[in-house]
Amino acid sequence: MNPRDIARVMGALLLATAASMLPCLPFGVREGLTGPWLASIGIVGGLGAAGWLATSRIQGVNAREGVAIVGLGWVAMVLAGSLPFLFAGVAPSVAAAIFESTSGFTTTGATVFPVIETLPSSILLWRSVTHWIGGMGIIVLGVAILPLLGVGGAQLFRAEVPGITVDRLAPRILTTARLLWGVYALLTVALGLLYIALGMSPFDAVNHAMATLATGGFSTRTASIGAFSAPIQWVTVLFMFAGGVNFTLHYRVLTGRWNAWFRDTEWRWYLAIAAGVSGVIFVALGLAEGSWTEETLRHAVFSTVSIQSTTGFANADFAVWPSVAQVLLLGVMFVGAMGGSTGGGFKVVRAAVVTEHMFGEIRKALHPRAVVVTRLGRTPIRNEIVLNVLAFLGMYVATHAAGTALLAALGSDVVTAASAALSAMSSVGPGLAAVGPTANYGHLGDPALLVLSALMLLGRLEFYTLLVLFLPGLWRRAGGNR
Amino acid sequence: MRVIIVGAGEVGYHVADRLAKEAHDVVVVDVAPERLDYVESHLDVAVIEGSGASPAALERAGIREAGLLLAVTSVDEVNLVTCMSAPSREGLVKVARVSNPDFYEERSALQPGSFGVDLLINPERELALEAFRLLQATAASDVVVFAGGAVQLLGLWVAEGAPIAGRPLAKVGIAESGGHLLTVAVEREGNTIIPTGATEIRVGDHLYVIVAAGEIPRALELTGHRHQKAQRVMIAGGSVETYYMAQLLQQHGLDVVVIVEDRDRAQELAEKLDHTLVLNASVTDVELLELEGVGGMDAFLAFTDYDETNIIASLVAKHAGAKQVITLVNKSDYVPLARRIGLDAAVSPRLSAASALLRYVRRGSVQRVATLQANDAEVLSLAVTPGSPLVGRALADIEFPAGAIVGAILRGSHVIVPTGRDTLRVGDAAIVFALPEAVQPVTQLFPA
Repeated sequence: MNPRDIARVMGALLLATAASMLPCLPFGVREGLTGPWLASIGIVGGLGAAGWLATSRIQGVNAREGVAIVGLGWVAMVLAGSLPFLFAGVAPSVAAAIFESTSGFTTTGATVFPVIETLPSSILLWRSVTHWIGGMGIIVLGVAILPLLGVGGAQLFRAEVPGITVDRLAPRILTTARLLWGVYALLTVALGLLYIALGMSPFDAVNHAMATLATGGFSTRTASIGAFSAPIQWVTVLFMFAGGVNFTLHYRVLTGRWNAWFRDTEWRWYLAIAAGVSGVIFVALGLAEGSWTEETLRHAVFSTVSIQSTTGFANADFAVWPSVAQVLLLGVMFVGAMGGSTGGGFKVVRAAVVTEHMFGEIRKALHPRAVVVTRLGRTPIRNEIVLNVLAFLGMYVATHAAGTALLAALGSDVVTAASAALSAMSSVGPGLAAVGPTANYGHLGDPALLVLSALMLLGRLEFYTLLVLFLPGLWRRAGGNR
Repeated sequence: MRVIIVGAGEVGYHVADRLAKEAHDVVVVDVAPERLDYVESHLDVAVIEGSGASPAALERAGIREAGLLLAVTSVDEVNLVTCMSAPSREGLVKVARVSNPDFYEERSALQPGSFGVDLLINPERELALEAFRLLQATAASDVVVFAGGAVQLLGLWVAEGAPIAGRPLAKVGIAESGGHLLTVAVEREGNTIIPTGATEIRVGDHLYVIVAAGEIPRALELTGHRHQKAQRVMIAGGSVETYYMAQLLQQHGLDVVVIVEDRDRAQELAEKLDHTLVLNASVTDVELLELEGVGGMDAFLAFTDYDETNIIASLVAKHAGAKQVITLVNKSDYVPLARRIGLDAAVSPRLSAASALLRYVRRGSVQRVATLQANDAEVLSLAVTPGSPLVGRALADIEFPAGAIVGAILRGSHVIVPTGRDTLRVGDAAIVFALPEAVQPVTQLFPA
């Protein structure tokens, strides 16, 4: 472990964060927030420059340092991102500012603000920017634009991109990262233009496009996407769904392999879950409300895809829907989006592996000597990966239990605590009961907000990356390693 | 014709033997002198020590005059390089034995015609195909298909209580089967005879009958067997043959259980075969076989690499009640033995490969050839050309070589199981069953 190397990479990340604040500056200047923005950019940029200058050349990053860099980098980025909320005076407390920043970078989209429209536009834009950067990952961005990380780039990449494997689009990780960010940017611009064509103001269009593709969920309106027209909501459904799809598939489709989506087993599961759950919820809603209109269908599909892709936009208050709908939404909240997407959750690919493995174990009960191979579609999954996925499941369940217990201890009711913890870990945003889609997180109190921030980071970085920071072994210098 | 055979292993030896007996000039090339000594002392062939992949060795073997190059070592890559090393010229056919399933995957670059290879022979796959045909005609010991399966030659045991037992052939066969069944050979006490109408069928005889595909159930019934479709199949052993077999069976929607003793091989097969249940256990573990329902299997295939294990496992399965048992044996001495101790059918990779190779050697007027495993008799499909002395004469009037018989005539899409009154026409294909000594005289009656 070389502290100077880490300092330099951290410095680069903070400089990038500072640079990403620059687009907000003109808006801040116009609404009298020049000071707060200059202070934020100055502090973050200054720290970044100091770190960058700590050493002149990086010797190369090994697997261990890669994990440390991603973990520490995200913590540093989240703290840096909370400064504008603090300096602009909109956040009621330090914890609230950290929560809002974490929620942004992890693409959760949970907010502490009860009313959104009264926030300064520079702050609204910053919330969307944090989503957009966090969606594809700042490390991936760093790998894409700065070849400074050398061969270790692949390690960093792996530590930040969710899922069980990293599909390389190109032999070089740098090229892969660039292609992914290219696809991401392209889709965002396309959605923004579509929004404008459908009647959104350019400012709303930019913000929502970033929040949608990142599967974030911050809106410029208190009523979220519900404040806009039905066509806009349907377009949002499509792009939320797309945000939850592995971006390497998008790349393949965009480069002419039209069947890349359909050929992918995980994608088919993802689509099947979306269609199945939407269908059941539509029927449940139709029966409960006695209305079978386009609006009912739109509410069912939108909420399902919004939760499944872990975006968290809302066009209806599902916290008051029939229980079966709520339970199903909790289910898709857990499963979440595809690996390699901007979405969170347990990931469809892992759910598929666990399911297949379950059936394999049942087969084994019938044939004790059977050699059971867990498959994803027709592809065999190596045993180590299956074990890794099962460990991940254990970690998910244990973390969720601990989070729920902590939130309950801090005064939340059971449904609120359980749904808020799951929502945070899966980077969804809204939960049920007191944190439903029409409510916000501001009333939970500072300790709960910090617990939820930790859960969001754990979920976004898929536990290992963050948890190893607490292992003493990581910080010991490996003998003869370099 | 000069034939160069690279590789003096089981396949190479057997093919050299067959070709030498048919008066071809055979040169065997191998790197192992002791194998060559054995070949030279047993067969009337020339031997050259050296690698087939070396142009110099091929030159010494006389590649310039050769009409056929057979690269049949047990290493696929050596066989391919051998074919690449040999000059490509008119009149030289190059055949490579390639067993690795990877080379046969979709979109594989390896196609007949590429790398200077004219024909790919895959003994393991040939064997699996043969075993599969046996499964389709449940009680048969041999199955050879012609004309895309429209006509088949079956080897059948005459069971106790069979309708045809105890009667002369003239009274059964054609009359009772509606004209689509002909007994071409009878195997009795180790002798193979070409029957006449007066030959009496006895229980325990092994008959070779030629039937139209639709008549297979009828043929089984006449010999005292019941026809049923196999659905559940157990394969013992993790050989390459097992892989091809299981793949073939799962493609046809059968339930397949594979038992593999080696842990890693079991894992490998389980990964490759996605609709097959792979068990990691000893194939002679009687308790396990019973637990997995060996008695309820429609077929049990013993496909390990060891003959003795295969025979033991087959006996266990047969005893437990498996309806059809097919045993893989490498040693040809064991083929008749397997029958004598009550196993239904034996298959041998060496003979399968030899069949596939020989099928190609006598191209020209010969369209397809099969070699029967028990008695080395051959089944030939011969094109009738204007130059043939047989054209236009009734079969009864032809002086056909002893030990050979016309089993069927393919005329366009029609299949004729002939009587003495039928005649051969130009454009027909005659399916001829011939004992080894009759092959040469018969083929002379069908000039190219």
